[in-house]
Amino acid sequence: MKNRKKLFIISFVLLGVFLISAGFHDVYGQAKKNKVRLKADYVKIMDGEVYLDIKATSKIEKQNVKVPNIEVTIYNEFNDEEIELGSIITNMKGASKFVIKDLSDIKADSTNIYNIVLSFKGNDSFKKASKSISFKDAEIKANLITKDSINYITATLIDKSKDSVVVGEPLDVQVQRLFRSFKIGEEFNNTDESGTIIVPIEEGIPGVDGNLTIEVVLNDHDEFGTVKALVSAPVGTPIVDESTFDQRTMWSPRNKTPIFILIFTNLLIIGIWSILIYLIINLFKISKSKI
Amino acid sequence: MKNYDKLINDLAPRKFGKIGVIWTSLLIVIIIIGFVAYIDQIRKGQVVTNMRDYALWGIYISNFVFFVATSFVGSITVAILRLTNNTWRTPLVRIAEIISVAAIIMAGITIMIDMARPDRILNLFIHARLQSPITWDVIIIPTYIVISLLLLYFPLLPDLAILNKYFKEKSPKLSKRYGFLSLNWSGSKAQKILQEKSIKIIAIMIIPVGILLQTIDAWLFSTTYRIGWDSTNFAPYFISGAFVAGVGALITVIYIVRRVKKLESYITDSHFDKLGKLLVLACLIYLYFNINEYLIPTFTAKKGELIHLDTLFTGHYATLFWLVTIGGLVVPILVLLFKKGRKPLPMFFIGLIVVIGSWWKRYVIVTPTLLHPFLPIQGVPESWRHYFPSLHEWLITVATLAMALLIITLLVRYLPVIPIQRTADEQELLKTDKSSKS
Repeated sequence: MKNRKKLFIISFVLLGVFLISAGFHDVYGQAKKNKVRLKADYVKIMDGEVYLDIKATSKIEKQNVKVPNIEVTIYNEFNDEEIELGSIITNMKGASKFVIKDLSDIKADSTNIYNIVLSFKGNDSFKKASKSISFKDAEIKANLITKDSINYITATLIDKSKDSVVVGEPLDVQVQRLFRSFKIGEEFNNTDESGTIIVPIEEGIPGVDGNLTIEVVLNDHDEFGTVKALVSAPVGTPIVDESTFDQRTMWSPRNKTPIFILIFTNLLIIGIWSILIYLIINLFKISKSKI
Repeated sequence: MKNYDKLINDLAPRKFGKIGVIWTSLLIVIIIIGFVAYIDQIRKGQVVTNMRDYALWGIYISNFVFFVATSFVGSITVAILRLTNNTWRTPLVRIAEIISVAAIIMAGITIMIDMARPDRILNLFIHARLQSPITWDVIIIPTYIVISLLLLYFPLLPDLAILNKYFKEKSPKLSKRYGFLSLNWSGSKAQKILQEKSIKIIAIMIIPVGILLQTIDAWLFSTTYRIGWDSTNFAPYFISGAFVAGVGALITVIYIVRRVKKLESYITDSHFDKLGKLLVLACLIYLYFNINEYLIPTFTAKKGELIHLDTLFTGHYATLFWLVTIGGLVVPILVLLFKKGRKPLPMFFIGLIVVIGSWWKRYVIVTPTLLHPFLPIQGVPESWRHYFPSLHEWLITVATLAMALLIITLLVRYLPVIPIQRTADEQELLKTDKSSKS
């Protein structure tokens, strides 16, 4: 009997705990906000865009998820002051690109380091977050040269903050391709004492009309970020276009019907229908000629 | 003159008897049911059919191919027998012309039914590509309809004038219609010259156009790179198949018309005997192409095609395949090789078997191939890998067959099924022949 009473009390308590926890679950769920992790990579393309590659992620239920549709404001930190540069909204992949129109528009500190702060104010689902990045301005000067009938890419890495060459840093040399760039040269091409690398271009690399676009890249450097220089090199093997897109084929659209089909089919149609019209005219003639 | 009156009396259209009324009413009811199913198909879309990603062509297309094949009868019996001066054709040609017209009209309608929304027919013209066999089909079918109508109409002119006179007192309304359709035919020399010239042109023209029609129909399949259709043999295979379907349909209809209209003295046993021989020839040619079509791939087939052939020879479609091959082709040959087999009644049954066999043969050509694509379609329900027509498809298809039969019935009702003028001329010739010999 005692045992029964105990069992009843335990069951009652357990039920109560379950109901209370279930009842509070929603309230608790609504109150909980997730943390947003902001990431920004500085990218400079020589004679092209300078931008920040921004990504927002969050760890929700032990899984990293991309955070779309949040507004991130970008500031230039200078002398303890934050100057607003603009803002972006992340896309469905939780990413966005903030283009810095001109690097001279933002101010560097006394050591020529640019300090950027990314700030997210927070919303109903996510807590506020911020991220600081710093970088120095660097430059890659790349050229195509030919020595003893061999084509080379030479590139020099310059630290603009000191106006001096950068020694011993790896530069990637690669040919632009549709899906992923094709690396050429050694695995690591470190800059020498003059801050320069020289990489031979293999023969027979196919390119449209023989034109190759070669990239020299300083990849995700701690101080300089990513710096990329593009060189047009007309040293590839021209791609022979085997597409029949512009030709008159059996599988092309109607405005590119093969001539023989046009002639043959139309002749048949005109031939047969001329006779049919002649026969129909004969019917009229019969109805008119009684005698 | 008395004989001439008797001839007109025998051959002039007569009102439906009791059976005729029941038959026509039955056809109309079937058509109405099919029409309701068709409206429902338009309303709900082709989801009411069992056509899915695999069987994207189903019973409608096999039915269309059957109609196209049957319409070939106009080219073979009428045109070829005319050009080869086979005089025994006279009592048979009009029925052949009528079948041809009914079948080709229904082929055109069936293809519209397959498109689900009838307004899509416009797309075939708006987006027509002359490289596509579908565009050729869109051109050739109306062309063949016009030729078939002209082939029926030109030889009818003298008979319509005769009927105009014949019904003047009996039924002035009907007489007026015959008079209008006879285009003031008086049998003048100028009219006869024009008529004979026109018929000759049509008879010559309908042969290549008929062959073109069947060829294009075959190319609709063989230009698609699919197991069972990817064959250079396909066009002659279709032409010979159409030869069989056409003559089979002709024999069946002729037997019924002869019996209902009591035309035994015009359509004699000898006509059936000759048609029987023609059907044997057709079946033998078709059998030859069937052997080509199925035997060679059993030696050369790669895996995909072997699976397809196994399905036909021993698998899911084996019963149907062997029924249409043996029942619809081999048995008719064996029966018709004997003189007794070429008597009217056995011929009727053989004709009927051949027509049914021809219909199912098109089903065997269309469906199993669609269920065996080179690349299996991913992520579709298992049921989509099988096909059997839905109730909607059956109702609509049966209605199209009923419509073809209704067209034949109405034309047989209102037109002289045996050319009156030509029969009179031939009988007159016979008399003069006999009198000149004596």
